[in-house]
Amino acid sequence: MTMKMTRRTAIQAMLASTAAATVMHAIPAWAQQKGGTLTVGLTYEIDTMNVYSTGFLGDAQAAVVEGLLAPDKDAKYVPVLATEVPTIANGGIVVAADGKTMKVSYKLRPGVTWHDGKPFTSADVKYTWEAVKDEKFIAESKDGSSEVESIDTPDDLTVVVNYNTILPTFASTLFTFGIFPKHALEGTDLNTSSYNQTPIGTGPFKVKEFVTGQYVALERFDGYWKKGANGDALPYLDGIVFKMIPDTNTLVTQLKSGEVDLVVQTPYNQAQQLTGVDRIELITGPLLSWQHLDFNFKNPTLADLAVRKAIAQAIDRNVLSKAQGGYPKPIKSPVVPVFEFYDDSTPVLDFDVAAANKTLDDAGYAMGSDGIRAKDGNKLSYKFMVQAGRADDELVQQVIITELKAIGIEAVANNQSGVAYREARYKGGYDLIYGRWITSADPVYSVFWGTGGANNGQSYSNPDLDAALKGFENTLDPAARKTAATEFQKIIATDLPTIPLTTNVALIAKLKTLKNFVPNPTNMTNFVDTAAWYIES
Amino acid sequence: MSLGFIVRRLLGAIPLLFGISLILFTIVHLAPGGPLDVYADNPSVSPEALEQIAARYGLDQPVPMQYVLWLKAMVTGDWGFSIRSGKPVLGEILVRLGPTLELGGLALIISLLIAIPLGIVSASRRGSKLDTTLTLISFAGISTPVFWLALLLQLLFSVELGWLPSAGYQSIGNGSFGDRLAHLVMPAAVLSLATVASWSRFVRAGMMDVLNQDYIRTAYAKGRSESGVVFLHALRNALIPAVTVIAVDFASVISGAVITETVFAWPGIGRLFMESMNGRDYPMLMGLMMMGSLGIVIANIVADLAYAALDPRIRYG
Repeated sequence: MTMKMTRRTAIQAMLASTAAATVMHAIPAWAQQKGGTLTVGLTYEIDTMNVYSTGFLGDAQAAVVEGLLAPDKDAKYVPVLATEVPTIANGGIVVAADGKTMKVSYKLRPGVTWHDGKPFTSADVKYTWEAVKDEKFIAESKDGSSEVESIDTPDDLTVVVNYNTILPTFASTLFTFGIFPKHALEGTDLNTSSYNQTPIGTGPFKVKEFVTGQYVALERFDGYWKKGANGDALPYLDGIVFKMIPDTNTLVTQLKSGEVDLVVQTPYNQAQQLTGVDRIELITGPLLSWQHLDFNFKNPTLADLAVRKAIAQAIDRNVLSKAQGGYPKPIKSPVVPVFEFYDDSTPVLDFDVAAANKTLDDAGYAMGSDGIRAKDGNKLSYKFMVQAGRADDELVQQVIITELKAIGIEAVANNQSGVAYREARYKGGYDLIYGRWITSADPVYSVFWGTGGANNGQSYSNPDLDAALKGFENTLDPAARKTAATEFQKIIATDLPTIPLTTNVALIAKLKTLKNFVPNPTNMTNFVDTAAWYIES
Repeated sequence: MSLGFIVRRLLGAIPLLFGISLILFTIVHLAPGGPLDVYADNPSVSPEALEQIAARYGLDQPVPMQYVLWLKAMVTGDWGFSIRSGKPVLGEILVRLGPTLELGGLALIISLLIAIPLGIVSASRRGSKLDTTLTLISFAGISTPVFWLALLLQLLFSVELGWLPSAGYQSIGNGSFGDRLAHLVMPAAVLSLATVASWSRFVRAGMMDVLNQDYIRTAYAKGRSESGVVFLHALRNALIPAVTVIAVDFASVISGAVITETVFAWPGIGRLFMESMNGRDYPMLMGLMMMGSLGIVIANIVADLAYAALDPRIRYG
């Protein structure tokens, strides 16, 4: 049967489609909705909107200023203002014939404009390097600027960065933090520029108001380059407000009263207050930080693997977790599980007091009358340092002291703060030290346990580990890096220069109707992907 | 009271402030920790980088040398730069002074309006049920922790009733008078409570002392009404001891209310102090504390002058 379109059927068809459209509007939960302002509560004060000079992670900054790349929810880099992440495979990274330097090429995204409507080009990228490198600019981080020899900009959308070394971690430095607008900043003093309050970026939001000590209000940037998967203009939200509320009780009150919609670092001890609040849900996200117990290898008994092994067997990670409210999770490798290089087959010594005692017995450490073991006149009695004043750390320290006592090892708290702590930590002024490290999405581990590493206050040196770390850090080939990562995790787990204990989670309190929010574990913050967030009405 | 007296007192304040600065500087540096502690967990900040940062802020110098450098600059009117924000200390303080004066000023006015009548009523109805009740309430007010009271008020008026904003200085993008007043109500009430409680005690004590004097009995004897006796004969003399306390409390308005401002996210001096303390921002801390000390020194001079105004027998030569 052929269908002949008459005026009448045409009108019917039009009506039908209108009706269908009406029905679709009536069920808005299907589609992402535009509009709404999200209010975020921060416990710290935003000092500056300049990503290179802020002393904090750039929460508000990440929604305004974009870089060429950004880490995603799995701490893997994805392109933002670049069209792809440079790798050897796609020709974006070229290593010089002598293997000592490299070139990294970025293809820039076409059609990106700054908040003032000017086009974003390769000149902005080059300027960012020059501005950050400038000695007069007081920056919190100049990471990755000194390794760049020069930058070529063959055309508006191509950037070739010539490195004076091999820098596998290039993605976690300079251009990922953010790009400066050359046209607005060239010739100005970045230290005092109004850019520090109202930066011009390319991000989904622009700064509407910066009120010192109170709030930073962002509003939608209508000319944002990114479109949703369904073709929607982004961002969905009309605005985001970052309110600075130093007292965590007040922060929780504001979540309850509806004055705040999102808190990304809810203190663990406040979680319970939020469980019954209708509008709010609590979710957890991984963090790239971990707690560890380290040994000083200048101490002759701690240089003995048997003692380190016994200590590892004597510590119950689950108890440590419980002592911290149950939120930090037990780990077995310093490469925290969120990383792709984490190897789940890394061996771990199980908590077993009897085995720990046996290890020490077998190694000849006899129990003394005072309950402390000794061998050849060397008592297993140690100075144990944590940073003074950190309640969680001091609590864990007490737990570890008790657990070590059960196997005849005495640990005496010798806590320091400030300069004294730093000196002791870097120069090995301790026998045992408990603390934490926080890394970027692309960490370097040789600084901790490599021979002569900048953070190796333990005087630990192991040629096998050095080789494995070198394989991991001086190679750009992902498969080779993975093999090296497995190798160095295994060496650390068996030679025990450090005992990785727990990793942290971010406790996020968010509006239940806030959708598309994905926790980001990296120091690039949860606000790196705000364009897709929307509030369901 | 003569101009000479005021000048002498002001000159005398200079060595006093010098001594105060030395003590404050010592105490601040005796507290454990330092401005660079924030970098402790970040492996990408190398020991060399830390040394460079320390050198930039003069933290690599011995502490006595740091004091001399600070004092030299301060004498020329240079308050230095905040380590946390990199901005000039004086500018940062002035930005915070407005909100602090608004909050502290309102709280003082409320306190004066309530405390003096309360003290008078208590004293003149001494031993009555009213006096006992007011005394009880005063002690409850003095003993109530500020942060706890603040939390209760927030839960009642913001979460349960939804009448008032729980914290902050103004709504986003709305700086109207009504909006700011709504934000001011709870912190000002909390801040007034303790002062009302303590001032009314001082007024009551002063009043009772005066009411036992012979000249009060004489006033009654010549047929003065009770209100006439209390307000015309007793009040001025009764206020003298209270003035000292009130003057010092006035001065502390400038140093801000640390806890109240922090709990209510009030962008004032007290919160700046709290944050500077947490970050061991030495130049900022010294600036804030010196300003607070100056306020107290001046308030004491004003109190002395107020004595003379209240009691004609007191004269400074």
